Amino acid sequence: MRKSVTAAALAAVLAVGSLQAARAETLLVSSWGGSWQEMIAKTIGKKFTETTGAKVEFVTGGTIDRLNKAKLAAGDPETDITLTTSHVGWLYQSSGLFETLDYARIPNAAKIFPEARISPGHVGVWSYVYTIGYRKDLLPEGLTFDSWEDLWSPKMKGLLGLPDFDPSHIIAVSAILSGADPQHWEKGQDKLLALKPSIKAFYTNDASSQQMMSSGETPVQILLSGNAFYQMGQGVDLALVIPKEGAVIGIDAIGIMKGTKKSELAYKFIDAAFDPEVQAEIASFKKLGPMVEGAPVDPAIARLPGVFTTAEQWKEQAIVIDHKLRAEKLGEWKQWFTEHMIAQ
Amino acid sequence: MIDQSYLRRFLLPALLLAAVYACALAAIVQYAFRTFVPGSLEVGPPTLHNLARLVDPLYARVFGDSLLIGLYTAAATLLVGYPLAYALVRTPSRALRSALFVVAITPLFTGEIVRTYAWLNVLGANGFINRILLWSGLIGQPLELMFTTLGVCIALVHFSLPVMVMILAAALAHVDPRYERAAATLGAGPLRRFALITLPLSMPGVVSGFVTIFAWTLSAFATPQLIGGGRVTMISNLVYQLGFASFNFPFAAALSLAAILLTVLLLALLRWSQARVDRMAVHA
Amino acid sequence: MSPRFLSPRLVERALRLGFALLVAAIVGYVVLPAVVVAIASLNASAILAFPPDGLSLRWYATALGYRDFQRGLVNSLIVMAIASTLAVAVGAAAALYIDRSGHRLRGLLEAVLVSPMVVPNFTIGLGFLIFAVEVGQARTFGVVVVSHVVLVLPFVLRSIYVSLRNIDRRLERAAATLGARPGRVFLEVTLPMMAPGIFAGWVFAAVLSFNEFTASLFVTARSTKTLPVAMYDYVREYADPTMAALSTLFIVTTVILVVLANRLVGLDRILTMESPR
Repeated sequence: MRKSVTAAALAAVLAVGSLQAARAETLLVSSWGGSWQEMIAKTIGKKFTETTGAKVEFVTGGTIDRLNKAKLAAGDPETDITLTTSHVGWLYQSSGLFETLDYARIPNAAKIFPEARISPGHVGVWSYVYTIGYRKDLLPEGLTFDSWEDLWSPKMKGLLGLPDFDPSHIIAVSAILSGADPQHWEKGQDKLLALKPSIKAFYTNDASSQQMMSSGETPVQILLSGNAFYQMGQGVDLALVIPKEGAVIGIDAIGIMKGTKKSELAYKFIDAAFDPEVQAEIASFKKLGPMVEGAPVDPAIARLPGVFTTAEQWKEQAIVIDHKLRAEKLGEWKQWFTEHMIAQ
Repeated sequence: MIDQSYLRRFLLPALLLAAVYACALAAIVQYAFRTFVPGSLEVGPPTLHNLARLVDPLYARVFGDSLLIGLYTAAATLLVGYPLAYALVRTPSRALRSALFVVAITPLFTGEIVRTYAWLNVLGANGFINRILLWSGLIGQPLELMFTTLGVCIALVHFSLPVMVMILAAALAHVDPRYERAAATLGAGPLRRFALITLPLSMPGVVSGFVTIFAWTLSAFATPQLIGGGRVTMISNLVYQLGFASFNFPFAAALSLAAILLTVLLLALLRWSQARVDRMAVHA
Repeated sequence: MSPRFLSPRLVERALRLGFALLVAAIVGYVVLPAVVVAIASLNASAILAFPPDGLSLRWYATALGYRDFQRGLVNSLIVMAIASTLAVAVGAAAALYIDRSGHRLRGLLEAVLVSPMVVPNFTIGLGFLIFAVEVGQARTFGVVVVSHVVLVLPFVLRSIYVSLRNIDRRLERAAATLGARPGRVFLEVTLPMMAPGIFAGWVFAAVLSFNEFTASLFVTARSTKTLPVAMYDYVREYADPTMAALSTLFIVTTVILVVLANRLVGLDRILTMESPR
């Protein structure tokens, strides 16, 4: 009897497995879930379907989880396209997971900012900043954030929240404030250690950042600009500042998976992403910066801090950590940060 | 009595499963002996460097902290779970018994994610507990519950309670109420009856529940991650932070291997202590 | 022991009252997060706050209409049904062997099968993913099911052990003495007596499989994504009360089902394993 139960169960597993037969003309896109998926579907995906008639299906997950899965599936990718963060894209690139991009097949990419060309295999599609955001109603008297240096103020004691998944921002800033650069980040270690009294907690994702900000648990955070704008929209009394040293830029990028059988459609998808109208829609949807110069971004969006629409803004307000350096150093940074800042 | 040759047939599926599981563990553990290459997902030649790094006092401390949190949680779960299990087993009312059972088991049915987010709402600076206490004037400042060992333990105890209650209730159900009635007839008070009869006879459940929850808590991940806010780090969080999230598979594997070895030790302890208690219970 | 001026009956009553209050307090602790979540799910604004700014049912509409949740639910039910059934079949056989056999290596087998409880689930999940890729089974329900079976097995084994220990072995011996072959002793004596433990183990396995998240995060793919993973994806991106609404639905459905199951088969008796007398 036990045997027949096992056999029936196996049969059920197989039957369900065979239901996954691929549908024709569907482009599989790996991206973050939730509102990101929604945004990509309603902007790039919509345009792509209009021009090609093909559908888009998403495989969603966290940046790291998708990277690990993609690496294990090298040569037989689950998806045709991957959207990921610029420096993590370098790990795809150096592990041979991306195809080399042929820009001749992406006409709309002619006007992209030079910062968008990240590696031969991936190209930036939108930008944002990680910078200082604070609760106006909960800030101690006399505390302002003209400079990143203000995070070290004694008034900041026990107020700061930082992301635990990526310490690059504060490491780069500490290096710069110590007269060095991200390449020579060790020079900023003492500065980092001196920040510890200010730190209250670390958040694990955007949702927990929101939770900790809206509850007042950490009234000052280094956080994603789009995340801050979202909270303002929900009525949280939040302000976002770009300190005089600039804000740490983040770029999300797109690449074609090596081994895809839908290379033609994949290029069409990337081209749709750089359509100026689509770039403007992306900017409005999540208050992100476009990567195409001259995209018709709503002026109300373009005015927001951290939304860069001109080459000058990139020059004056952005701290760009070299993406390849960041990919190589991230392990070392995280380890040092975990050992000396988090787990102490 | 089923004879041994017949029994052997039962072994095959479990052996097969154990083999697949061992392969899966081996697939990850082998990384512990490979060199980490920064900026790449590929690994380099064989090395013992990852294991040598484990002697850093930081890791000993995180392992120690995890053991402590496991002990606190197991002890607290036992204290909270015992009365509930006792009430569940001894209440004469069928309706009350059902109600208690449903209450005791429901936390098992809400996943890790939901449960942890629920606790954020309860424990936060603006959460339920602080709102109530501030409103009642008992405290002037919000209590620090989030990002503390206490907060993590409160949530872990809640998570562990259903399992503890089931183990204890099973043990208590074996304690024949007639022994207690006999003791009462002989003039023993309720506390005395409990201390001299019920508690000793339920000891197998107490030990089994304690060790189960202790070992279970050691592998906790989501709760310390979300409620600890980086301030309370347990073994799994360290493996995740240093390994998976910084793409250092080799070191993550080395840490996991250390955790697995600790597990083997714990299981040996479990078997040993259970055997002892079972003997004591038989003699009691 | 009690002071002489208190009558034993009074002491007994006071203790009873104290005990009742203690149990009530514990029940309060257990239900507190559920109650708070239910209140939060009615929050009108998107930021989780306590107490709510206003009342609204819109998060329930979002939760029920979200396509990822619907697909995740179907996948979770498939995985749960197969994994729990397999786990019980494998677990019952193994428990019987481990409990009855005198073989030297049975301790090792038991240690291996129980170890998933203490090995971090994401180590197990990642291990299964790597292994599944090597044998060409990634992205199938197969790897999800097998990893779930491994993860729930310790709990299945435990509940079946308890029922095995309750079995009066003299009945088996009597049947054997009367000439029954081992197979018949097993089917007609042992198995029926194990039934409560098997049923309890099955419930355990089903519940844990349905809720398993950490390992599933690694072993699921697009077509096999389970509900907890879909919920995690959601919770990473949105801090709105949709999760609270979904969990409230979860809890309410669960309570109804548990109450029904309890009415029908006396789950409480089986899970807390009263020995037959």
